[in-house]
Amino acid sequence: MSSRVSIDFEVDGVRRSEEIAPNTVLLDLLRDRHALTGVKASCERGVCGACTILVDGTPAASCGVFAFSVDGAAVETIDGQGREGGLGPVQRAFAECGGFQCGYCTPGMVMLTTALLRAHPEPDDERIRSWISSNVCRCTGYQMIVDSVRRAAELSREEQP
Amino acid sequence: MTNQPAAVGTSARRHDAAAKVTGGALYTADVRLPGMLHAKVLRSPHAHARLRSVDATRARALAGVHAVLTRDELAGLSPTYGYFIKDQPVVAMDKVRYVGDVVAAVAAEDEATALRALELIDVVYEPLPDVPDVTAALAEDAPELFEEAPPGIVPPYGTGASGHLRPRRNVCYEFRYATGPADVWQECDHVFEDTFAFSRMNHFHLEPFVTVADVRGEQIEIWSSTQNPFPLRKELARVLRVGENRIRVHVPYVGGGFGAKHNCKTEPIAILLSRMAGRPVRYCLTTEEGFLTLSQHAAVLKVKTGVKADGTFVARESEVLLDAGAYSDGSPLVAEKAAYRMPGPYRWTHVKSSCACVMTTTTPAGPFRGFGATQSTWAGESQVDMIARRLGMDPYELRIKNLKRLGEPFVPGESGIDSDLAEGLDTVAGELGYHRRARTPNRGMGLAIGFKDGGGVNKPAQARVKVTANGAVYVNSGTVEIGQGASTTLCQVAAEVLGVPLEQVAYAPINTDVTPFDQGTNASSGMTVMGRAVLRAAEAVRAQVLEFAARQLGCEATALTLENWAVRRGDEAPTPLPGLIMKVFGGTGYEFSGEGFFKAPNSPEAPLDAPCVFWEIGWAGAEVEVDPDTGKVTVLQLVASGDVGKAINKLVCRGQDEGAAVMGLGQALFEEMRYDGSALLNGEALDYRVPMAEDLPERFVSVTQEQGHGPGPFGAKGAGEGAMVPVAAAIANAVHDATGVRVTALPLSPERVFNALHRR
Ligand code: FES
Ligand code: FES
Repeated sequence: MSSRVSIDFEVDGVRRSEEIAPNTVLLDLLRDRHALTGVKASCERGVCGACTILVDGTPAASCGVFAFSVDGAAVETIDGQGREGGLGPVQRAFAECGGFQCGYCTPGMVMLTTALLRAHPEPDDERIRSWISSNVCRCTGYQMIVDSVRRAAELSREEQP
Repeated sequence: MTNQPAAVGTSARRHDAAAKVTGGALYTADVRLPGMLHAKVLRSPHAHARLRSVDATRARALAGVHAVLTRDELAGLSPTYGYFIKDQPVVAMDKVRYVGDVVAAVAAEDEATALRALELIDVVYEPLPDVPDVTAALAEDAPELFEEAPPGIVPPYGTGASGHLRPRRNVCYEFRYATGPADVWQECDHVFEDTFAFSRMNHFHLEPFVTVADVRGEQIEIWSSTQNPFPLRKELARVLRVGENRIRVHVPYVGGGFGAKHNCKTEPIAILLSRMAGRPVRYCLTTEEGFLTLSQHAAVLKVKTGVKADGTFVARESEVLLDAGAYSDGSPLVAEKAAYRMPGPYRWTHVKSSCACVMTTTTPAGPFRGFGATQSTWAGESQVDMIARRLGMDPYELRIKNLKRLGEPFVPGESGIDSDLAEGLDTVAGELGYHRRARTPNRGMGLAIGFKDGGGVNKPAQARVKVTANGAVYVNSGTVEIGQGASTTLCQVAAEVLGVPLEQVAYAPINTDVTPFDQGTNASSGMTVMGRAVLRAAEAVRAQVLEFAARQLGCEATALTLENWAVRRGDEAPTPLPGLIMKVFGGTGYEFSGEGFFKAPNSPEAPLDAPCVFWEIGWAGAEVEVDPDTGKVTVLQLVASGDVGKAINKLVCRGQDEGAAVMGLGQALFEEMRYDGSALLNGEALDYRVPMAEDLPERFVSVTQEQGHGPGPFGAKGAGEGAMVPVAAAIANAVHDATGVRVTALPLSPERVFNALHRR
């Protein structure tokens, strides 16, 4: 375990160079070293999606990603989703539509929605359901999350110039 | 109250919205303290074994290990805990009783070191025969899980109810209830006896069980993901033999609980390790360990129902066996409720119920959303449909014929039913299109009514509301924000009373040293019990403020109204309060503070010692399609509805009903902890399937009824459990309607439905 590897990557737009043990998991790096506790840890088996982040725009379960593998990549977390002076459009939509309860799945759901809307700015309900089916929410029964994603699509479109 | 109610009845944005959508919300799992160590535990590989020896010498010698806890370190403690029965040891003492039972614990620099240390603990087990299920545990020659009776109590009960400790081998508790003359069985034209099986779920809260403990000198401080900080504090004080005021419990946001996070879970080990190590300790379970910590109760339910030829219900007798797992946890209370709720929402001349908690060598079972009502409603509401079909009646008609009226007591000595049950059923039937349904092969519809008493038994709640000179309001209460939205709705109640905008009201964080006492965030009691305490506290503050202002203005307090932190007399221009207050108390300000208390009064006539606070009713309707070749059940429509009396916050109420209904959907169709003997087969996230968005029925509708008969503030009732309770029975009833075949065991898996279809 004495060997270290150096990685150079971006977290929410800020460049980071660091030395890590080769078996460091990205989730732990983000939570423990960068204090990004908004990235949630739950099953740590790549199933629930609470730890979802974007790696070069693609959603990934950070509990299943070795930190060395993001060398050279751009990582986006919930921490970078705000806008000057407040919430980003996806966050606003979840807040407004009540797309959360305990909130533990929420950062992951917000990241998933961000990626979905970049790929499909006007998703229909079927596509929304199919995308958010990669993450677990134990509280809401999902319908209010679907509503939030639909609303997020509207708010994101309004945000585009 | 101001004339225009502004704060309640809205869809106001939740108080915790910004924190939660930004990832800024702090949970216990996020708490980090300087010098914090990490704990891991050694778990038994045996379902039942005597502990010959536990030797941690090698583990203690490992670099990075700061403390090791085994049975040898328990001297000076009362080392077992539980609700009514103190049978669960902090770490195993004489025996282990299920696969996963905790044998030893280590605190180390990091989790990896702690895990390595566990491998260095030498344990010699002497395996004993296991008792994997209720049948095995009740057998004549079954091995006893507890050779000696652990200390236990039976709470006071009123008319017709009784509790019994260890009535037979491997039964830790039995609750019995009876009312009305038993000779009415002779008047019944038909008597039906049916047996139902109920499978067990895992709570699967996303935030794991976790505690951070920091013991400094005599002060014990913990941050814990718990639903009941005050009873937890009391139990910890008993186990540790210290005063309750030596233990300070902080409760950050809780990432879901659904009943699991009550009383001692990760707390005793975290505290003891911190005390031994002299450093803060974080003890966080994995999801896999969560499966080994607590579950819902599997059950076998025998129901005998006597009716008249015209369908009038006469008598119902039931025997329920709960699989309590290896330790009693909340089982006695769940047994109480499973038996007591067996009559459901119907009128009977005679009722006799019993429920026994049977100990098995499996994960301990405890509180789970629905709390015994999910089990009793599964059996009761399935049987109502079976009886209707046997009598050639429509199940809807049979229900309508026998439902209790609004205000009719549930049983003698109980409070009256505070919902119009038929109105609720009609709402759901209408939304589903039940009466217009076309007869299509393999398609059918079913209805069910979930029934439970809500608000907890003998549950006191205290609250404090305080207001600064500038009109910033704090609500202090022990109700935990666990996702249900209480930190918003309780603030709405205070905002309404004080006539201030909701944004001006904050929900204070919970710290048991300063937060007023509360018995726990459970039993859907947040609004009907704590809500009333908050209402009274806010009214007390309002009275203080008005009296103060009246003195300053030289008028009667009754002549003044309060709005937007100003007082107004008749049509005069309002006088802002900040200036008035600072004139008297000085420019540094002042705080008005009011206390509120609520508890339903005790009554010896009430079977459970106090009449129920409110009745939590959930109505569900389902339309299904059954594939005869595979047995697969597709839910085409699910309609779920609760009566909240008055919605304090519409978004919050909707969220509670929908979340509950989808949990019921998982229970109905696939969610189940599967055992092979005493070995759990699917105790991890991938193999244990919870509902995902793709599992939602094509049409999923929730209806928040506001019938207005609730005892809570502004006519509110509670919510959160009701809409889960009837879902499984509604779906099974729809399957029966579709196929003519009855499935009496959950979940309604393709295999089970296929077998039922082909046994025909
Ligand atoms: S915590 Fe990463 S998927 Fe569950
Ligand atoms: S809000 Fe609790 S898990 Fe989604």
